[in-house]
Amino acid sequence: MEINTPKYTAEIFETLSKGQFISSNSTNKFIRTLYSILDDEDNFEYLFDYFNSINFILEKGDQYFYFSRKESKTNLERKLEIAYKWIDILDFLKTYDNAFGPGFKFSPSEISIRLDVDVDLKTKLKGLRRFAPKKSSYIEVIKKIVETLEKNHVVELENDASQTYKVLSSFTYLEELILTINIPEEIADEIPE
Amino acid sequence: MITFSNIKELIFAMKREEKLLSEMFIKRKSLSFSYDMAMRMVNQDKARIEFLINRSVLRKNDHFLVIDDMFLQFFENILEVNEEINISYVNENLQHIKDNILYFFNERNENRKYSYLRTIKNTFRKVGDITVRNVIDLRRHVETTFKNEPNYKNKKSKLEHLDQKRESIINIIQQTEQLIYEDEDTFFRAAVDDELNRLVIDLKLKLSESMHNLIEIEKQIIDYLNQIKYQSGVVKKLRKIKYLRDQFIIEAETNIKDVLNTRSPLIFEPNPSYPLKLSLYELQNNNDILESIKTVAGRINSDYRSKPELADSISEEYLTSGVQDNMLIDLLEINEGFKTTKDDLFTFIMNYEFVKTLSFEERVTVFCQLVSQYDTDLNITEDYKSVNNVEYVLVYTK
Repeated sequence: MEINTPKYTAEIFETLSKGQFISSNSTNKFIRTLYSILDDEDNFEYLFDYFNSINFILEKGDQYFYFSRKESKTNLERKLEIAYKWIDILDFLKTYDNAFGPGFKFSPSEISIRLDVDVDLKTKLKGLRRFAPKKSSYIEVIKKIVETLEKNHVVELENDASQTYKVLSSFTYLEELILTINIPEEIADEIPE
Repeated sequence: MITFSNIKELIFAMKREEKLLSEMFIKRKSLSFSYDMAMRMVNQDKARIEFLINRSVLRKNDHFLVIDDMFLQFFENILEVNEEINISYVNENLQHIKDNILYFFNERNENRKYSYLRTIKNTFRKVGDITVRNVIDLRRHVETTFKNEPNYKNKKSKLEHLDQKRESIINIIQQTEQLIYEDEDTFFRAAVDDELNRLVIDLKLKLSESMHNLIEIEKQIIDYLNQIKYQSGVVKKLRKIKYLRDQFIIEAETNIKDVLNTRSPLIFEPNPSYPLKLSLYELQNNNDILESIKTVAGRINSDYRSKPELADSISEEYLTSGVQDNMLIDLLEINEGFKTTKDDLFTFIMNYEFVKTLSFEERVTVFCQLVSQYDTDLNITEDYKSVNNVEYVLVYTK
């Protein structure tokens, strides 16, 4: 079937080419519109070829889309650095709540309240201080982390008044990244629970 | 132990302590209804509480009072708020039916036979209702456990436990079906009773509906368990990775480098900017851009001041004033004048004394303008006349 370039192709490109995700459970109606365009099989096939010709691979995850490249433009060092950052942040968030994942709702102030009663969480947050400007307070560090997540469209501000954020389905990407890393059994056995 | 001597006494006691019992029932979960609180509910009348305790409606536990389990279950069952999914109860009922069927066959007396039949019918009705209730409760339990149980291990074992419950319910349904279709087939043929037939059909429908629901619940439980497994899998893996990362051995011990090498999503790249050259054409022709340039220039605050370009002096002829006369015909005035005459409009205009002499053509134009502008004030007839090869309509005042 002959189809024309789908609507909003430019917007899809603009969002994805910034390294952001397009998730199905976004609170932003426009992003959801973009998602539904990509979710259509014909559109997806068309756009896959379309972006492929300019060296972007349109990748489909579980309820989200993102771009990757045929050949990496960044060096491994930078990737590692970013992967470590995600690991640290994810570890912090999962310590805050095991169920932290797509659909989860939270606010930075809620997390900061938990700091006083959860030493583990506090220690982990201290480790994340390097991502925020010097001498930031705890809540500022948390806000900075949330900002990072928001910038990549992994979480979204759902309610401005209560500062409630919602975790998007693209969060699964980070989880899957963790799951793909293979730890050899003999090493895994040595790690304390 | 004193028991109520008859149902009347029981109902009367319930009615009298309605306030206390309903309050205690509402707070049955919190388990801390103190004796003093109860005293307040019965106007400090100790005897009333003692009366209930003596008849095992309430139980005293130190300083606390609780509703006796038997009554509590009775209330919960009647109000359909029981939390526990009780399967043994159905089992008992099935046995009860079987027994009564046996009695039914052995009995020769019609009256007694009928009473057995009635018991069987009642129990059948109960079995259907309880099964449906159980299915509804199970569904609710599964949902609330998955959504509200904060402890991961408990959540998992609770769901597994509920899954077992689901299997038991299926088992019971199968037993009931076996009872109806196979074991006691003779009874259903022998005991010709319309109500029984109706009840059995109703029961069969309820059972098949419950079965369908249970299949759906099974899917739900499997899905929930998988989600939990995935979540706890992620957390476990994350903890290990984090440990290795904190020990700075992650690169050596895991395949993280390979994983990252095979993937190159844009999320790992710095935010790109696309420095495009500005369009010269737009820069020169777009006024909005001029504003932007000014703002940017202002921000840069350079010392450079552009010298205003001087224009040539204005030529003399633009400065001398000239007068031009324009003739304007006041159509309104002509119309007003026309209203006082009895001539037709065309003749009126031909004879009208304008300030300036008008040619024939100009007068025709005035005629046309008047007719088109004041057509509502004029009486336009269907008669025509002609002058100088011009055919005109006869127009009069109204």
